[in-house]
Amino acid sequence: MFRDNFNLAYKNIKERLSRSVLTLLGISIGIMAIISLMGIGEGMNVAVEGELSSLSDTIIVSVGEGFSIFSPNLDDTGEYLTERDINDLERIPGVKEVNTQLTGMASLSFNGDENTIMTTITGMEIETMNIQYGLEDLYRGSILENGDQSKILIGYDVAYEYFDNDIQIGSRVKINGKKFFVNGIFSKQGMGGVSTNDDLLLLTSRDFQKTTGESNIFIATVSVYDVTEVESMALEIERTINENHGEDDFASATSMSSILDSVQNIMGILQTVLIAIASIALVVASIGIMNTMLTSVMERTREIGIMKAIGGTNKDVMSIFIIEGLLLSLIGGASGIILGIIGSTGVAAALSNMGPGGGGMPLEPVITFTAIALGLSVSMIVGILSSIYPAWKAAKMSPIEAVRYE
Amino acid sequence: MEMEERQEKSMNEDVIVTKNLSKTYGKGDLQVKALKETDITIKKGDYIAIIGPSGSGKSTLMNLIGCLDRPSSGKLYIDDTDVYKLKENELARIRREKIGFIFQKYNLIPTLTALENVMLSMGFAGVDSKSRIKKAKKLLDMVELSHRIEHKPSELSGGEQQRVAISRALGNNPTIVLGDEPTGNVDSKSGNKIMEILENINNKGETVIIVTHDPNIAKRASRILRIEDGVVREENV
Repeated sequence: MFRDNFNLAYKNIKERLSRSVLTLLGISIGIMAIISLMGIGEGMNVAVEGELSSLSDTIIVSVGEGFSIFSPNLDDTGEYLTERDINDLERIPGVKEVNTQLTGMASLSFNGDENTIMTTITGMEIETMNIQYGLEDLYRGSILENGDQSKILIGYDVAYEYFDNDIQIGSRVKINGKKFFVNGIFSKQGMGGVSTNDDLLLLTSRDFQKTTGESNIFIATVSVYDVTEVESMALEIERTINENHGEDDFASATSMSSILDSVQNIMGILQTVLIAIASIALVVASIGIMNTMLTSVMERTREIGIMKAIGGTNKDVMSIFIIEGLLLSLIGGASGIILGIIGSTGVAAALSNMGPGGGGMPLEPVITFTAIALGLSVSMIVGILSSIYPAWKAAKMSPIEAVRYE
Repeated sequence: MEMEERQEKSMNEDVIVTKNLSKTYGKGDLQVKALKETDITIKKGDYIAIIGPSGSGKSTLMNLIGCLDRPSSGKLYIDDTDVYKLKENELARIRREKIGFIFQKYNLIPTLTALENVMLSMGFAGVDSKSRIKKAKKLLDMVELSHRIEHKPSELSGGEQQRVAISRALGNNPTIVLGDEPTGNVDSKSGNKIMEILENINNKGETVIIVTHDPNIAKRASRILRIEDGVVREENV
């Protein structure tokens, strides 16, 4: 019997093709939105995880409240880690390596001294630089190598926004009056990245000290031998430095995995909110299906009467209409999934290339089996729920009144 | 003993018995008594024509016998079952198994082919797909429509549609075949063919009841019931 009911439902959908297509378009759009959002969300997760998990043995030690995705560029508080701190960190059992990041204010000029601005500069050991940045982060030029002197890497905005003329690779700039050659320009990140490099001025620790005469250690990057110990080591590092400075919250040590967790948490919340918004489309779609089914019931009153007159039960009539609603929503759902996959690929490509520098995070949508199963089940539920009332209305018709209906 | 046996046999041969069956439409001053307390007995193999002027209650009686409608009062027995005591789904079973209904306006499902239309009622009865196709083809062959089985109602003439409807009515081997003006919408040649088919069905032992306003058709029946103002009386053939 199911085959017959299916056949009837299918033929009815075919008979009223344009109306059916418009109805299933509604559900298709809803499912498309959900699938593409899930695909992009999952893709972002994978990208962030890929970017941060290679640093899972890394702990970032900084002065103040700590390194977080909310304040990736720390403000200069005037307090710094000391040489003693670094030596103590190196002595903690399990610590593989400690690299430091120096931060300070300096004047930057380009094209003559009249164009001078005060800005923050960052100094790093080449090894630390290589952990944090790679060639893929650069828009132009190349990263610094051991032995490089008087060379800097600059952010996208520094190169193209700060001065009237664009700074090019090989351009000469002056930091605190000392000449530097631009070796590389970072890609534009905008809001796409975890931390923004757009305003960065990066040089080696040696050049930093030569230029500023200071060695203010703002951030230390500690790598550990045992990845599983990274959380407890972060606590020990924090305690060691706080003891050195006699303050409870002088410094904070954050593991990359905890940053990864919080990034994923935030992305999860964002994704849920977006999917909830997309679900409104599904509610609208379900009203559309109900409307179409009610119209169909009215138009086919006579048919319903005939079916009952020749022995169809209320259950038979009801199942015909529910199958019809289900079929509509499943076709809509399936096409929504296909459109969602295409859509998410498009949106991901657009996000990856956002900004003139083509900087954003490289993003590949990830369509999981769960997303597809969810898309299909949601469309099924919508189809069944929205056709129950019309089907019930059809089943309750008196056969004689329905047969007489003109 | 012999008499008792005859009596019992006669009891068993009563396929339809109505007791004070009546139907009233509307309420209060607008009340219309379409069928007044009616007692009729129809035996297996009867070929009955119900005649009467428009609005006399022919279709009301037909719809009550066909279990499409419920009476205002009275009883209807089909094969000794008091059918109006049954629940809706059990009534659907009676319609499916005991009754084959042929409508004046054919009432085929427009989206289905002739074959699928005939198969539909068998599907409701739970007959498996293979047997249904076989039976439906046989029935369509009987009404000389073997060459039209894949056609939709809109592609068939009125007479052809009515023959499909007759095939559909016979799908579940009903005890009673009811025709509400089965020739009312077709030309006289097609009408004749339809009557021949119904007579053949009756000759095979089925009970056939038709509503007609055509005296020539009524004459072909073995019994005539005339209705006037909701009152049924037997007319001599």
